[in-house]
Amino acid sequence: MAYIPSRRKRNNTFAGTAKLNLTSMMDMFTIILVFLLKTYTTEGALIQPSDSLALPKSTIQTQPEVALDLVVSRDVVMVNDRVVIDMDQVKKQQGFVIAPLKTELQRHADKAKNMEQEFGTPFSGKVVIQGDKSIPYRDLVKVMATCGAADYPNMRLVVYRSE
Amino acid sequence: MAYRPSRRTHNTPADAEPNMTPIMNLMVVLIPLLLTSVQLIKISIIELNLPPAAAADAAMAKQSKKDRVKKLDLAVIITDKGFYLSSSSAILKARKGKPSIPLKDGQYNYELLAEKLFAIKEKASGRFQDTESITIQAEPSIDYQTLVSTMDAARSIKRDGRELALFPKASISALVL
Repeated sequence: MAYIPSRRKRNNTFAGTAKLNLTSMMDMFTIILVFLLKTYTTEGALIQPSDSLALPKSTIQTQPEVALDLVVSRDVVMVNDRVVIDMDQVKKQQGFVIAPLKTELQRHADKAKNMEQEFGTPFSGKVVIQGDKSIPYRDLVKVMATCGAADYPNMRLVVYRSE
Repeated sequence: MAYRPSRRTHNTPADAEPNMTPIMNLMVVLIPLLLTSVQLIKISIIELNLPPAAAADAAMAKQSKKDRVKKLDLAVIITDKGFYLSSSSAILKARKGKPSIPLKDGQYNYELLAEKLFAIKEKASGRFQDTESITIQAEPSIDYQTLVSTMDAARSIKRDGRELALFPKASISALVL
């Protein structure tokens, strides 16, 4: 038999407005907000992690710097997000200096030196190297020698802080 | 006669609740904003300053022989068998054929390297000029992570809860190639 409410229940329109209790939610939000404000940093992110670029870990505690960006991943070498040369070609090469990378770096160095003359922004010769942790020493040295040969002797190796 | 409120109109006030909605709005905006800017991975940089290629040879040529004698010229060579330590003076014993610090269970023994470097640092400080710098060389197939870990081991050592600097000025040499 179907449910038929009693006459009293049928006319019962006095349902109080439901109120949401926000206090516990406020507590939670306040804690999260304080935590996030504590960890807030204004430093820009320097790295773009990808499958072929896993930075090495280190115990060093230094602040990152922003300079010319040189990415040495497992596949390509990039300067300021522009692909310069494939790693296969770097591996095949015999000498130290990688010619296409040198011309690209020197182009940036010339531009920076021009800026120094015209606007007074000093040219520091700094290059930030993001290298994959598995690249062999022989290829790393080629890249570093090229940096040194192309007016960028001050190299900064980007690493993950392990603590 | 004093005023006395009538018993009929006198009623207890309902619990006054503050209006939370504006605060909630603020939170809902602020939390996603801060969450997007949170830095989960901390990064650092290792400084590695080369003399410009042309200047290096000239500087080497200029050094008189007397200067060179005073220099420690400490170097770590990373091979697939372990670390070799070398210097220009006869301060280090090199066992024939075997690396100074061999692999331990197939892994590089960074702790022992730091210990040995600490002993060298203690002996050498005051007697040589360059007790801050170390040259790191590696076999061509050594990977970048090993290089960075070796630089870490050569940089500082923990003694009695304090960080003691060993040879923080690392430079990389390609002589092995």
